[in-house]
Amino acid sequence: MARPKAPERPKKKVFFRRRKVCKFCVDKTEWVDYKDTKLLQGFILERAKILPRRISGTCARHQRMVQEAIKRSRHLALIPFTAD
Amino acid sequence: MRTYELVIVADPRLTDDEMVTLTEDYKKMITAGGAEVTKEESWGRRKLAYPIAKLNEARYVLICVSTDGKSPLPEVELRLRQNDKVLRYLTVRTDRNGKPIPPPQPREERGPQGPGGPGAGRDFGAPSRGERGESGEEN
Repeated sequence: MARPKAPERPKKKVFFRRRKVCKFCVDKTEWVDYKDTKLLQGFILERAKILPRRISGTCARHQRMVQEAIKRSRHLALIPFTAD
Repeated sequence: MRTYELVIVADPRLTDDEMVTLTEDYKKMITAGGAEVTKEESWGRRKLAYPIAKLNEARYVLICVSTDGKSPLPEVELRLRQNDKVLRYLTVRTDRNGKPIPPPQPREERGPQGPGGPGAGRDFGAPSRGERGESGEEN
């Protein structure tokens, strides 16, 4: 299979998106504290939903920890389930 | 060795003394069950993120427990459930492979997402408050 297409393909705009880095990996976090409401507030949207990984850039492992911590924190009414 | 954290959310109408006796009762139960109370922390009255039992405030207490043998917590939990002064409680195991999980590192040295920090964009960590909501519609 030859590759004849390369020259005539119209040039696409090249986007450079900065690679998202999991902030917990950078800090080498092993445990996300459910008591740390300041931290968790940063991971909920204004409707009090959990911020998706796609936006925060958190890795799967740490997202699970964040998720667990948020749910625990909600149970204790430290952070809301919904925006009222 | 196993370590646990127990958070009790209690009725705000309790007086300080009543609150102390309540925590002492549970601490006694824990020690009677063969465990050790390593730390006790009162957070005082805090505003709730949402009302529980039509109350907007509650008293919080944190008790750290460590044990080598069997855990006294099932019984403690049973009593917590029966006590109507206790609005909520949470017990969490805080050890992994027999070692207590090291406390989270102080985040100040890096501070990639200080609240409202200038560089805190959606590329790193959580977006700052102003950008939330609409950030999902990108792409």
